[in-house]
Amino acid sequence: MDFLQLGSYSFSSRLILGTGKFSNAKVMLEAVRASGAQLVTVALRRFNRQQAEDDLFAPLSTIEGITLMPNTSGASTAAEAVRAAHIARELSGSPFIKVEIHPNPQHLMPDPIETYEACRILAKEGFLVMPYITADPVLAKRLEDAGCASVMPLGSAIGSGQGLAAAEMLSIIIRESNIPVIVDAGLRSPSEAAAALEMGCGAVLVNSAVAVAGNPPEMAEAFAGAVVAGRKAFRAGLMQKSGSALATSPLTSFLEAKA
Amino acid sequence: MSISPEWLTDDRDSAELARMLAPSSSSTLESLAAESKAITLRRFGRTISLYAPLYLSNHCSSGCAYCGFASDRNTLRRRLEPEEIGREILAMKKIGISDILLLTGERTKLADFDYLRRSVEIAAKSMQRVSVEAFPMSVSEYRMLAECGCTGVTIYQETYNRERYESLHRWGPKKDFLDRLETPARALEGGIKTVGLGVLLGLSEPLEDALMLYRHVRHLARRYWRAGISVSFPRIRPQTGGYEPPFPVDDHFLARMIFSFRITLPDIELVLSTRESGTFRDGMAGLAITRMSIASRTTVGGYHDPENNEKGQFDVSDNRSAEEFCNTLRSRNIEPVFKNWDPAYNGPAYGKNTEIHPEKLKPCH
Amino acid sequence: MITIELNGEQQVLSGDASVNDLLSIIGSDGKTVAVMVNEHIIRPENRSATLLQEGDRVEILVFAGGG
Repeated sequence: MDFLQLGSYSFSSRLILGTGKFSNAKVMLEAVRASGAQLVTVALRRFNRQQAEDDLFAPLSTIEGITLMPNTSGASTAAEAVRAAHIARELSGSPFIKVEIHPNPQHLMPDPIETYEACRILAKEGFLVMPYITADPVLAKRLEDAGCASVMPLGSAIGSGQGLAAAEMLSIIIRESNIPVIVDAGLRSPSEAAAALEMGCGAVLVNSAVAVAGNPPEMAEAFAGAVVAGRKAFRAGLMQKSGSALATSPLTSFLEAKA
Repeated sequence: MSISPEWLTDDRDSAELARMLAPSSSSTLESLAAESKAITLRRFGRTISLYAPLYLSNHCSSGCAYCGFASDRNTLRRRLEPEEIGREILAMKKIGISDILLLTGERTKLADFDYLRRSVEIAAKSMQRVSVEAFPMSVSEYRMLAECGCTGVTIYQETYNRERYESLHRWGPKKDFLDRLETPARALEGGIKTVGLGVLLGLSEPLEDALMLYRHVRHLARRYWRAGISVSFPRIRPQTGGYEPPFPVDDHFLARMIFSFRITLPDIELVLSTRESGTFRDGMAGLAITRMSIASRTTVGGYHDPENNEKGQFDVSDNRSAEEFCNTLRSRNIEPVFKNWDPAYNGPAYGKNTEIHPEKLKPCH
Repeated sequence: MITIELNGEQQVLSGDASVNDLLSIIGSDGKTVAVMVNEHIIRPENRSATLLQEGDRVEILVFAGGG
């Protein structure tokens, strides 16, 4: 069977779901169930008695087969991210941590230097580190060397719905990586998710596209189908795109001329 | 017998190459040539980098069935002394060469690691780029070589077919298939910047060897992501001793293999030596090949005193002088390049773990 | 009575309040929260024994929605 391998965890689903931006927790839980996702991201927030329904830990625990992947969203430095990771592991017991450090609240682009520093520390501490980064092939290899369990390059900016704008860089990262590449952020439609899997990535993380859809549970199901199709196509060996046009005069005639 | 590594046997990544090389392939040679040419032009431009081999010694402890220098062959054995090396290098510089490949056989008392290292030191004084094609070494030996100015290591697996490999390497240290397989990785781990891989075409079924060679390249590229990797295509030529290759590779297959490698490995340096004829080399330059040897001697030394009648490791097919060859390249709108980077950058690259140790950047004594 | 900082706001407590007492006061059953006192994580088994002091900075965190 074809599993997504992260550390010692094997996942049959290659769709990871984010839990933010949903209209309410009930819809979010339905979407998670419909998606078949086995890895779900959550953020850390201060306890607020007035909004007790925001506390997702207990409700998510009712869904079978879910592993939590807390993120460090809110942190703008490596030190803050490391602290958040410790708190998150304390609460969830899960070794997964999505290192997400975006100091600029406008575009939410990840800080590569703080991210690298945080990942280096957390990997040594035994976390399964999943860094959120721009699609930078060299940064991806640096993070792999540092001991991350995967790299999570963005397809395009969070919530932008621009799809696989970084496709060329993503394909380089995928080709060169020894660890799973999880395309995160910017995916708008199931066909884009399928395209990412067809490129050979290990999984996709989708949040906004499901949360703000007209019918999130149905959209989650659509994404699940697309991810399965994309992965199958990749494994089946896609037909190559055709090459350049033929030269005007034959290039290989020298092979007939014997020396 | 320990198992071959998974990266060598996993056929998923090499599926596209397999399709291009299959006898039933629908891609014509001409269409592969056109695509290969387009990729080469985009990635490498209209240049070919040039180098020349210098055989330091033909002493050898191994018994490779196909080699003119095998230890059971009746050949005059000698090695170049430091002054002779200096003279050879001067002669090579006179004809424009500044990128040199130093060759020896397997490790012997007379041509051992210290001899090789001293030779690299001498060459690095006046050559821009110094590579070696010699015996497999340890990581720390490669690091010492890198510190002395060695920037490249060429080591051919000869064949990736394990049974064929073991029957061809009848005795000596080269008999160990897995040790040889791991050698390029050791060189890169030791800080050598580029490695050259290849199979000796004719030894085994070529399609199989091509696929495994491709997988070796991909494996090293993913594991040593800062490394330069080149692939050569040596084809067994007539040599003293008369080894008949059991799987002879014709020009058409060789061309198809080279084009397919260019298409599936667009960033890799592809190398052709003077084993091949002038016509073949001229044709392939600009279509896929980006690096070639020139004015080669496969005898020990031979540049300083070109009239010597010794037998070489193999017979050179393209005997043109450096000047003739360069003029031909220029007439085909290709610029010959002798120098790639400043030797001030020579020295160990990082291994897999990137930690800078300033005290290790001392110059070699 | 002592004053502590809870999730960034002032909170008045009795002088011998434990972390567990604080959790009851704010309406948490303690099962789905992480507790930090002055940058130290207080594990569930230690919460009854950990008494709060004047000026302590307490953070009580839960998992909420996020991408």
